[in-house]
Amino acid sequence: MKKSHKIILSIITLGVLFWGSTPLAQAMHIMEGYLPPKYCIIWGVISLPFLAAGWFSIKKTLAEHRRSITILAIAGAFIFVISSLKIPSVTGSCSHMTGTGLGAILFGASSVSILGFIVLIFQAILLAHGGLTTLGANTFSMAIAGPIVSIGIYKLCQALKVNKYVGIFLAAFIGDLFTYCVTSVQLALAYPSAQGGVAASAIKFLTVFAPTQLPLAIVEGLLTVLIIIALETYATTELTDIGFVKEG
Amino acid sequence: MEKWIVLSAMFLLTILVFVVKRRNGRRHGERAHEHRHSFGHKHGGLISIDYLAYSSKIRHWNPTFKVILSVLTIILCIALNNVYVSIVVILAMAYLVIKVGGLALHDYLSVLAIPLAFILISIFAIVIDFSDQPIGIYHLYLGFGYLYTTMAMLKYGVFLMLKVIAAISGLQLMILTTPSSEVISVMKKAHVPKDFIALMNMIYRYIFILLDVFAKMKNSAESRLGYRDFKTSCYTFGGVASNMLVLSLKKAGAYYDAMEARCYDGELMFLEEDKKVEIRLIVPAAVYVLCLLLLWYLTR
Amino acid sequence: MKNRILKVDDLHYVYGNGKLALDGVSVEIFEGEKIAVIGANGSGKSTFFLNLNGVYTPAHGEIIYREMLVNKKNLNELRKNVGIVFQEADNQIIASTVRAEVGFGPMNLRLPKEEVIKRVKEALAYMNLSGFEDRPPHYLSGGEKKRVSIADIVAMKPEVMIFDEPTVSLDPQNAMLLEEVLLKLGGEDKTVLISTHDVDFAYRWAERVLVFCNGKIIADGTPLDVFQNMEILKLTNLKQPTMMEVYNVLVEKKILPDTQAYPKKVQELKAVLDDCAVLLSG
Ligand SMILES: Nc1ncnc2c1ncn2[C@@H]1O[C@H](COP(=O)(O)OP(=O)(O)O)[C@@H](O)[C@H]1O
Ligand SMILES: [Mg+2]
Repeated sequence: MKKSHKIILSIITLGVLFWGSTPLAQAMHIMEGYLPPKYCIIWGVISLPFLAAGWFSIKKTLAEHRRSITILAIAGAFIFVISSLKIPSVTGSCSHMTGTGLGAILFGASSVSILGFIVLIFQAILLAHGGLTTLGANTFSMAIAGPIVSIGIYKLCQALKVNKYVGIFLAAFIGDLFTYCVTSVQLALAYPSAQGGVAASAIKFLTVFAPTQLPLAIVEGLLTVLIIIALETYATTELTDIGFVKEG
Repeated sequence: MEKWIVLSAMFLLTILVFVVKRRNGRRHGERAHEHRHSFGHKHGGLISIDYLAYSSKIRHWNPTFKVILSVLTIILCIALNNVYVSIVVILAMAYLVIKVGGLALHDYLSVLAIPLAFILISIFAIVIDFSDQPIGIYHLYLGFGYLYTTMAMLKYGVFLMLKVIAAISGLQLMILTTPSSEVISVMKKAHVPKDFIALMNMIYRYIFILLDVFAKMKNSAESRLGYRDFKTSCYTFGGVASNMLVLSLKKAGAYYDAMEARCYDGELMFLEEDKKVEIRLIVPAAVYVLCLLLLWYLTR
Repeated sequence: MKNRILKVDDLHYVYGNGKLALDGVSVEIFEGEKIAVIGANGSGKSTFFLNLNGVYTPAHGEIIYREMLVNKKNLNELRKNVGIVFQEADNQIIASTVRAEVGFGPMNLRLPKEEVIKRVKEALAYMNLSGFEDRPPHYLSGGEKKRVSIADIVAMKPEVMIFDEPTVSLDPQNAMLLEEVLLKLGGEDKTVLISTHDVDFAYRWAERVLVFCNGKIIADGTPLDVFQNMEILKLTNLKQPTMMEVYNVLVEKKILPDTQAYPKKVQELKAVLDDCAVLLSG
C-alpha cells in the first residue's frame, strides 16, 4: 500500500472514530458482553467485600434510625439523576458526570458503594449504560475505587489545610481520573496487547479514552465544587442530617 | 464465510453510527423546541427506555421468564464466545423485541447505539497495536515505532464487537420489555436482602420525582437565561442540582410519614400480580437455547 | 346521640426544631360527621391530622379512639382506622405501579392476598381508575395521581378519612370529581375531615367547622355559626362564603325576609327566592 493511502486511511479511521464518539462523553461504563466470563467473576469477587462492608454500615444506620431509609433512597436517586443529566460543555457535545465523587463527599464512601451499585443497576436497565455481567467491574471502578480515592483526597486536603473548595475539586477530579485509570486497566487485563502485554494495552486504552475523559474530569470537579457551594448556602440542617457538615 | 461476517458487521456498524448521529441531531433539535419529545412523554426523553418497556406488547409475559431468558442469553454469548451464536442472538432478540414486542425498529436501534461510542473506542484500542517492526496489513510510522494492525486482529475486533452487540441485545430483551419494578420483583424472588429491595424500589420511585423537580427548575432557569454561556450554565447546573437535593431531602421525612400513616412497619411489601409462565413460551425458549448450544458445538 | 369515634384531649405537639405546632387542642369527633378544618397556612392543620393518625406522638395530651386510650402498643389500631390523604400525592405515592401503590396499605394490614386484590379492585373502581393497574405513577397526570392517593386510603377502609387540602393542586374538573367522591363517602356514613382554604366549599359541604389558629382550635361549630362570627373570620383572614353574603345582601335590600334560612347552594337560593315570590304575590 502506498504511503499516502495509509495516511488517508488513518485519518479517515480517526475521523470516524471521533465523529462517532465525541458526542457521547460519559463515564466509562464497560458495556455488556465486553468482559470474558473469568473477569466478570473476578471483579465481582473483588467488589464483594467492599459491598458487604457498605451493606453492614447501611444496615447499622437503618437499625438505629429506620427513618433514614428515605434519605438514603433520595441520595441514591440523586446520584443517578446527576449522572444522567446532560452537563454544560464547551464543545456542545453531550456529556455526563459520574456523581460518585460528590456522593462520596456528601454521603460517605461506605454508603456510596451500595448506592453506587444500585445506581449502576439502574443505569443498565433504565439507560442501557453498562451491563449486568460487567456490573462487578463497573462497581469496582465507579462505586468503590473512585469514591475511596475521592474521600481520601478530600480528607488529606482537610488535614493539610488546603482551601476547602480546592480540596473538593481535587477530590472529584482525581476520583474521576482514578476511575478512568482503573477501567482502562480492567480493559487491558481482559485484552492484553499481543506485543506489549497488559501494560501496553493499558496505555492504548488510556490514550483512546483520554480525549473524552480528561475534560470530563475537569468539568466534574468544577461542578462538584459549585454544587457544594450552592448546597452550603441553602440548607445546613439537611446537610447535617446526611453527615456532610459535621465532617466538613 | 468469515469474510462475509466481517463485511456485514461493518455494514451494521455504519447503520448504527448513522442512527446514533440522527438521534443526537434530534436531541439538539429538542433543545430548541423543548416540547418535542422523542417518545411522547415527559422527562424530556431522558429515560425513554422505561417508557418503551412499559409500552411493550410482551410486558405481560412473566417477568422472571424474561429476566432468566435475557441473562441466560448474555451468559451464553460471553461463555460460548462464538460468532455464529452472536449473530443468531442478535437476530433472535431483535425479532422478539421488535416483531413480537411491537417496538419501533428505530427505537430499538437507538437504544442499541447508546454504548456505541464505547464500543468503537475500545474495539479500536484492540485492533491496533504498537511494534518496532513494520508488520501487519496496515502500519503507520509514528517516529518511535509502528502502529499496526493485522487481518487476524481486525477479525478478532469485529467478532468481539458482534459478541458485545449480541450481549447488549440480550440485555435489551430485559430492559425494553420489563418495567424496572418487575425486574426488582424478580430480584426479590431471588432472595436479595429485603432492605436492598426496599432501597431499590424507593430509588426507582424517587428518580422520577427528582427528574420532575429538575425539569421544572431547569425550565425556569432557562427562561431567565441561565444557560446563555458555559460559565453561566455551570453555575445554573450547580444551583439547580443542589436545590433539587435539598428540596427532596426536606421531603424525606414527609415520605416516611406518609408510609407510616398507612401502617408501614419497616418492611416494604407490595402487591404484585402473578403472571403465569406459559408452556407456549417455555418450549420455544428451551429450543432456542438448545439451538445456540448446538450451533456452538457444530462450529467449534 | 351518635357514637364518639375520637376524643382528643389537650394535645400539644412540638417539632424537632422546638416549634410548638399544636398548643392544647381538644375536640371530640362523632360517627358520620363531615368536618371542614380551616385556618391559615402554618396554623397546625396538617400537624393535627398526623397526630390523629398516630404518625406523630404528642408531647402532651391524649387521643382516645372509641374506648381505647392510644399508646405505643395499639398505635396500629389507630392508623388502621384513621386514613390520611396527603396534601401532595407525590409525597404519598411510594410504589411504582398503581396496583402496588393501592395495595400497599392493605398489604401492611396483613390481609390475605385475595382480600388485598379484591380491595384494590374495588378502590380503583370507586375512584374511576379501573384499567390503571399497571401504570407507573410517573406516567399519570396530577389529577390521576390525586385519585390514586385517595384510592390508597379507600382500599384500607378506615372509619375516618382525612383529606389534607385536597383541592389545592386540582383543576376545576378534578375538583368537581373530588366533591362527588366526598358525597359518595358521605352517603356511606364515613366520618370525613377535610382541611381547606375554600370557605364556599366548607360552607356547602360541611356539617361542622373547626377553625385553627396558631396551633389552637379557636372555633368549633356549624358552618353557619362559624361564618357568622365576624371576630373569627377577621382573626383568620377569611371571608364569608359567597352564598351567605348574597343572602345577607338580599335581606338588607328587603328582597327576602330575615328567616335565617341560609341557602347552601344556588338551587336552594332559587327555592328560597321562589317561595318568597309566592308569598309576596299570594
Ligand atoms: N417538619 C417540620 N419541622 C418543623 N416545623 C414544622 C414542620 N412541619 C410544620 N412545621 C411548623 O409547624 C407549624 C404548623 O404547620 P402545619 O401543621 O403544616 O400547618 P398547616 O397544615 O395548617 O399549614 C408551622 O408553623 C410550621 O412551620
Ligand atoms: Mg398543611
